Amino acid sequence: MADLQIDHVTKAFGDTQVLKGISLDIADGEFVSLVGPSGCGKSTLLRIIAGLEGQTSGAIRINGQDVSGIRAADRNLSMVFQSYALYPHLTVAENISVPLKMRQLSASQRLPVIGPFIPGARNRNVEIAAAVKHAAQTLEIDNLLDRKPGQLSGGQRQRVALGRALVREPAAFLLDEPLSNLDAKLRVQTRAEIAELHRRLGATFVYVTHDQVEAMTMSSRIAVMMGGEILQCDAPDEVYNNPLDIRVAEFIGSPKINILPVEASDGALTFDNVVLPTLAPKNLSGPVRIGLRPEALRLAGEDAVLAGQVVHVENLGSEIFAQISLAGHDGRVTLRAAPEQRSSLYIGANVGLAFDGSAALLFGSDGKRIFNPHTVPAQSEVA
Amino acid sequence: MPVIACAETAQRRTAWWLTAPALGLMVLILLIPVVIAGVLSFTDYSLGNDTFNWVGAKNYDRLFSRSTYEKMFIATFTYVVTVVPLSVGLGLGAALLINSMGRIGDIYKTIYFLPVMATLLAMAIAWEFMLHPSIGMVNRTLEMSCGTILEIIPFLKNGCADRFPLWLGDKDYAIWVICFIGVWQGFGFNMVLYLAGLTGVHRELYHAAEMDGAKSGWERFRLVTWPALGPTTVFVVTISCIRAFQVFDTIEAFWPQGGGPNKSTYVMMFAIFEKGIQQNLIGIGSAITVLFLIFVMFLTLIQRWLVERKVHY
Repeated sequence: MADLQIDHVTKAFGDTQVLKGISLDIADGEFVSLVGPSGCGKSTLLRIIAGLEGQTSGAIRINGQDVSGIRAADRNLSMVFQSYALYPHLTVAENISVPLKMRQLSASQRLPVIGPFIPGARNRNVEIAAAVKHAAQTLEIDNLLDRKPGQLSGGQRQRVALGRALVREPAAFLLDEPLSNLDAKLRVQTRAEIAELHRRLGATFVYVTHDQVEAMTMSSRIAVMMGGEILQCDAPDEVYNNPLDIRVAEFIGSPKINILPVEASDGALTFDNVVLPTLAPKNLSGPVRIGLRPEALRLAGEDAVLAGQVVHVENLGSEIFAQISLAGHDGRVTLRAAPEQRSSLYIGANVGLAFDGSAALLFGSDGKRIFNPHTVPAQSEVA
Repeated sequence: MPVIACAETAQRRTAWWLTAPALGLMVLILLIPVVIAGVLSFTDYSLGNDTFNWVGAKNYDRLFSRSTYEKMFIATFTYVVTVVPLSVGLGLGAALLINSMGRIGDIYKTIYFLPVMATLLAMAIAWEFMLHPSIGMVNRTLEMSCGTILEIIPFLKNGCADRFPLWLGDKDYAIWVICFIGVWQGFGFNMVLYLAGLTGVHRELYHAAEMDGAKSGWERFRLVTWPALGPTTVFVVTISCIRAFQVFDTIEAFWPQGGGPNKSTYVMMFAIFEKGIQQNLIGIGSAITVLFLIFVMFLTLIQRWLVERKVHY
């Protein structure tokens, strides 16, 4: 178990700057997700932490020790790959035992045929077999130990890959989109299992995913990466409620946050000449944007600030998402409504929308968050 | 039901009709000649004779009792046992090296593959000139080492003091020269097969091996590359064995008059040619052919068995 420190790591492939100075401290026992769209450099960062790729500049420290010159095999990290990368010719038990055999047996003890007869090999092999059995029991795959990976389902293979990672006690676990090859139902189940495993082992996990739901549900902290930078690294609810960048706000949350272009002047915000209930800093003027989560919007009658027409309705049973085309705006906004409101949300219906001024997130023209007079003392207001 | 059954019968009939040309040709040009060779191996038939006598197992008896045929087996197996491991090993080694290179690899690929593309008969003639005892470039090159520090090597020392080997004229060297040319000509082909096999090795497995603590190239080779190349290896070994049993061109080019100095390179293919065609002893030629077929069949069966059992995971 260890803490990880990523210190101004950059990576360039030729002229392409893939990582632009990433810094991130991961505490011992933390579950940090690196989340971002494909091509944002999250997998590259993980591979640099693992040592499978070298950084262009910067340092990786494990337990305070700079590992920059140390090869992957010596960093004492475990990795679960997207493709699972199981050795196809070995059984499940042999697959799980590889990391132990490579580290605990000498080169001569690993030799085929004569290896087991080298002095000391017998006891070590017994220990390894016990460790493999224990790991398999943890993951409930002890009945599969004699099978080969080709005979397993995707979910089972995924567990074997996890087993191979946790059979020795590494400083940290690195997981590279381990759930992306599973079907939707199994993904939800395995998600919970990995989170549970993390709690049980108390080990440091670095988890790469492009799926913000995985990141939200499993992590202690989420690092949202885009364009080779970490835009924000915070606890899931903080990232959701208080995104510091409009790209973070747009990436986290499903359905996507509604972004409206508004005009700021004299501490007030106007959208399509309607004054919004959100306050702006006095000195702010010109075009800015506000972000409204679908659940921040509500249907309104007389007090409506926004008006539009329903163009699409998705009924999920427990809630309804309605897409509304606003007058004076070419995009659509998404509204989350309770099932009881279904009668008023038919396609073509003219509806009015209102929102609580403090729920709107204000972003400057550069996409950075602007804390308006409402949200700065937000905590005290809620309290 | 009757409609379906009828349709099935019709389909089956069509299937037979469609496979009939291929089956017919296979029987005509493969199975019938094999059966005829099998039958003739128990006779004393000669081409042009109207009749023949059954001689029972006499032909086979001769194969296992006469010293000429003992030499034939020794030459054939020496060749197979030398050429197969060397050409497979060198092919694999070259493929691994080329695979680890960038652009320059393509140049080596071409160089190593050139002998495969060349006509072996023409190459044999070129080798004959190079190996000529007095004017050949091999011995000329070796002579250049005389009087230099290289003379501490016993082979060169003896050569300088007395004479360098006759190569093709020396019964101790002839078969090894043939083996050398066989390896030189054959390993490029194995290399190409291995290169194809290597493209199928999953990159991520190497990373997994590294994470698992496989530090040396040898460990990675054992854990990832070699198992992944299993199917390729079975195929390459089988093809190399069959090709090695078939060696003929070089021997025919070097010694058209019969199997090298003291019959030291009298391999099976050449024996078949000499007995069956040159001497018109069809019976004994057929017996060698049948034996040859049994060896090849045996190899193919081993390959089938291995492919199904061991190398597909």
